[in-house]
Amino acid sequence: MTSMTNRVAPRKGKPLDVWRWVGRIFLVLMLLYTAVPMIWMLLTSIKSGFAAMQFPPQWWPNEPTLASYQRLLDPTNSVGQDFLRFFWNSLFVSTATTILAVIVAVPAAYAFSRFEFPGRNFLFFAVLLRNMFPAVIFLVPLFILMRLLGLVNTHGSLILTYLTFGLPLAIWLLKGFYDNIPYQLEQAARIDGATRFKAFMLIVMPLSAPGIIATAIYSFIGAWNEYIFAYTFLNRNDKLTLPVGIQRFFSENTTDFPGLMAASFMMSLPVVVLFLLLQRYFVRALTEGAVKH
Amino acid sequence: MAHVVLTDLVKTYGNFKAVNDVTLTVGDGEFVALVGPSGCGKTTTLNLIAGLIPITSGEIAIGDRVVNDVDPKDRDIAMVFQNYALYPQKSVYKNLAFPLQMRKLPRAEIDRKVKDAARVLDMTHLLERKPRELSGGQQQRVALGRALVRDPAVFLMDEPLSNLDAKLRVQMRSEIKRFHQDLKATIIYVTHDQLEAVTMADRMAVMKGGFLQQYDSPAQVFAHPVNMFVASFIGSPAMSLIPVEARTVDGRAVLTGAEGWTMALSPLNARKVRNSTTKKVVLGARHSTIKLHRNAMPDAIPAKAYTVEPTGDVTFVQALLSGATVNISVPPNVVVQPDEPIWLEFDQERLHLFDGETEIALMAD
Repeated sequence: MTSMTNRVAPRKGKPLDVWRWVGRIFLVLMLLYTAVPMIWMLLTSIKSGFAAMQFPPQWWPNEPTLASYQRLLDPTNSVGQDFLRFFWNSLFVSTATTILAVIVAVPAAYAFSRFEFPGRNFLFFAVLLRNMFPAVIFLVPLFILMRLLGLVNTHGSLILTYLTFGLPLAIWLLKGFYDNIPYQLEQAARIDGATRFKAFMLIVMPLSAPGIIATAIYSFIGAWNEYIFAYTFLNRNDKLTLPVGIQRFFSENTTDFPGLMAASFMMSLPVVVLFLLLQRYFVRALTEGAVKH
Repeated sequence: MAHVVLTDLVKTYGNFKAVNDVTLTVGDGEFVALVGPSGCGKTTTLNLIAGLIPITSGEIAIGDRVVNDVDPKDRDIAMVFQNYALYPQKSVYKNLAFPLQMRKLPRAEIDRKVKDAARVLDMTHLLERKPRELSGGQQQRVALGRALVRDPAVFLMDEPLSNLDAKLRVQMRSEIKRFHQDLKATIIYVTHDQLEAVTMADRMAVMKGGFLQQYDSPAQVFAHPVNMFVASFIGSPAMSLIPVEARTVDGRAVLTGAEGWTMALSPLNARKVRNSTTKKVVLGARHSTIKLHRNAMPDAIPAKAYTVEPTGDVTFVQALLSGATVNISVPPNVVVQPDEPIWLEFDQERLHLFDGETEIALMAD
């Protein structure tokens, strides 16, 4: 007994605190690592073009200005026109991708989770197989395919492509959710007077809402940020999405850095807002099923 | 309420027969327990009655209606699940109201019925809570409430007590029994716990390997098990089953054990043994029908105490005989030491004899 208490006592003191401090310092470093570029982006976007190029840099803008934002959001000049057009294009492609992904992934995941059918395991494996290859190797074949289908320079080409790459993960994520919803709940609902479809809509759907929301966020962010396919499939100015369109701020001689940063900041806004609004569902989706309730 | 008739019910999964030609009738207002070890087909049978899985062949009738192809929602049944299957996102009130809403009852009537059910089950104060805010016993009660709120023709219960702790289980056991007596409800109750079946059911259907072994009142099943499986499954501690050999010594039928002892048989038991297909016979006896002696007696078989388990009310003594474990109960004031020599006297009136080959109980004629 005495030897045990002796051994435990000193551990309660300093060593624990040291590790706690190491942890805190590590967290602060990680925070700086992720936050500084974003803060720098924000600060640059409110500088004048001249102030942005100064060296040594102005850490804090001497004369903060919202001129870049005004220019980007003003539809009467050509920069503003382009930016708003790209923003709208991105919003359309991402939203359409998200809605279609949910519409396809929900029944597919449910079927994989609940039904025994011939080829079920093979199909599920095939769904995951897609994720084993980098998307880029499909770039040229898909471009040829899109050209054959007359889809080059249409948003449809992007929506189809994003669905192809987004659905496997979406189905896999949602299947995990349905696996965790006890089948007896549906059985109970069916005995209580619901049809199979009603049991799904009234009992299973509300329970899987966090999973559906997480799936939607994944799809949306994926489509919103995607660059290489958009760059390849689209070349008409009025069709471009934001990630491609923002490139136009680079030019051979001068780059409008405040404009570029302002555009980047506004591009990241929808994702940040979406994430802040729905983060509790998002975190739940990633940890769901880790622990038996 | 209604009766339920199963006729030649079969359910196969590929080559596996989960339910094998089960035929049984559950009377109107009767409490029937389907009991057996896990994998015996009892839950499958219940799910077939509920319509949650399609039958392979045979017929299920509820009331006078064949329901083979009827949707679960139209079978007029209610079910209590082992894990309760309460809708986690709904309050207790909404859980109870759900079956009534599905039947499109007027709102006022739903409210009245839900509150009635809550009052019967003493959980009016819980109506606004979510299932996760309830204790296991309260969840169980809500599950029961959701079943009875609808006044169905048949109640199906799938191991409703197995997730409760031992004390609560005994309490809910008597509540469900009381509930059956008050409502005169037809109840089909699945359990692996023979004690639940024996204590609650009017009749019990003992199942094994998809086959119905015996269907009778608990008293009959206990007193006259049809085969060795039922004999060993019903009753606790289990009936002792001792392999012996039937012989005739000086014109009298006797049983001889592996240790060389012999036991004379009563005329009735001698007739039973004559019907065996083989000389190998199994002698069955429940712990309370074996007398333990500390000294040699004319009709008692010598053995040795193996373990001694006092439980307070009775003390269980285990002995080894012919390679089998024999359970004997003695009053707590009888102190037996392990390895002490003892003599066992079997009650000829209450011993059981089984065919050593077919394992079926031997009959006198």
